[in-house]
Amino acid sequence: MKVLNFDSKQCERIRRQLDAYLCNELLVETTGEVLKHLESCEVCSHELGSRQRVREALQKAAARQLPPAYLREAIHQRLRSAQPGFFEGFRSTTWALALASLAVVLVAGQQWLRWQQGKQLVTTVLTLGVFDHLHCAIRSHNYPEVANPPDQLRKKLGPQYAGLLPVVREKLPSFQVLEAHICQVPGGQRKYVHFIARGQGTILSVILTKREGESLPVGRFLVAGSPSGVDLYKAKVEGMNVAGFETNQYLGFVVSDLGLHEMVQLAASLAPVLRNALDGSAGTENAAPALVLASASVDSNRRVE
Amino acid sequence: MFFCSKTRVEDFEAAALPHLADLYRSASLLVQKSPEAEDLVQEVYLEAWKSFHRFEPGTNCRAWLFKILFHRLHHLRRRLIQASKLEAFASPADQDNVMAEPPVPQEIRDDDILLALAKVPPDFREVVLMADVQEFSYKEIAETLKIPLGTVMSRLSRGRGLLRRELAGVAESYGIRPGSERKREGHSG
Repeated sequence: MKVLNFDSKQCERIRRQLDAYLCNELLVETTGEVLKHLESCEVCSHELGSRQRVREALQKAAARQLPPAYLREAIHQRLRSAQPGFFEGFRSTTWALALASLAVVLVAGQQWLRWQQGKQLVTTVLTLGVFDHLHCAIRSHNYPEVANPPDQLRKKLGPQYAGLLPVVREKLPSFQVLEAHICQVPGGQRKYVHFIARGQGTILSVILTKREGESLPVGRFLVAGSPSGVDLYKAKVEGMNVAGFETNQYLGFVVSDLGLHEMVQLAASLAPVLRNALDGSAGTENAAPALVLASASVDSNRRVE
Repeated sequence: MFFCSKTRVEDFEAAALPHLADLYRSASLLVQKSPEAEDLVQEVYLEAWKSFHRFEPGTNCRAWLFKILFHRLHHLRRRLIQASKLEAFASPADQDNVMAEPPVPQEIRDDDILLALAKVPPDFREVVLMADVQEFSYKEIAETLKIPLGTVMSRLSRGRGLLRRELAGVAESYGIRPGSERKREGHSG
């Protein structure tokens, strides 16, 4: 390898800058310095010309390297055959968002479905009370225009439920209890403890019936209120508004064509004491006064979803 | 909306295909064989298409494609060449010397310079091509080849020098002896 010994260190220094000069990568000051030297140095100027010539020759020769005409079409075809599927074009973040959204939709959908199912179940259970009210009180008109005497009503209710009469009368102060009896709807074996009262321009029924496997659903969006720990439910069935509740053994209903809110309020007043009476020593005549005064206790672990 | 981010192949082609000639030019000068260069360029486009969703519109598509080209090229080279001969050309002592500039013919034929270029080791050749043919900046070359800026400068200097030497050798093999140029050597400014 032959190494030149330049007479001037300046030439050596400038030649080290020529590559960057050709690429226009020098600072303005350095470029000025190189140009000034080239003006006065024929050898370095010749060296730069030589390098420029090679560079230009390389550019010219490379420009001849053209892609074959079919290459563009070949790429075009391969791109189309490699077209990603519908989901492949998504970014990972998009996937995460999509999955999160899907999860939200699924959870919301599941909750909505459960709510719908719960609502349907509430209506089905409360319909029991509405049917008895419609059949016995409204269509069959099984009540007198003048209220039957309490003794007669207690007798109709029998010793098991006679104690409930004063409870109902007390909790329905703006109503007059016309009738109380045990009844059935046609085609059914279920027995209803039925109190028929008149007030506020309409007929209202307070109905109790033993649970035969029915159960009102759990879910705070389904409950209309929980006075004294008794969950109340409401529904509109066959043009009647009904508020209902359940005890360990019984289902209770307050039914009329008054507003739903009023039904819930009346049920809220009746439910705790009726529950205590029914789930305690039952509504026996002797036990009734004590039961009316008893405080309503929270009743849990009896309802299934 | 999620579904609006799906890229159409037409969008990709509009952004990437204008650089086909540049990519092919560099590929053919780097791998030397036309069929391999064609395959390489096709692979570059396929890979670019697959990751086009990561490309930011408005940024330098050409530089991005070259980055993919060199990534694939280096991958191929690593597979084919077990032992690099680069060290023989890249010793610091060698770079510090200012070598005698070989005489370069006044008239340089295309075939001669391409033949000379083919003899320049790949790591130097690709920097020369990036700087002199594609006219990328030092910074762009460093980013594309994933090497430090100083390495770009030293490889370019060394690569150009080797090209001139090879070119002079090619010219001499044809009996071309540019004596007039030799006479100027050794003169100071």
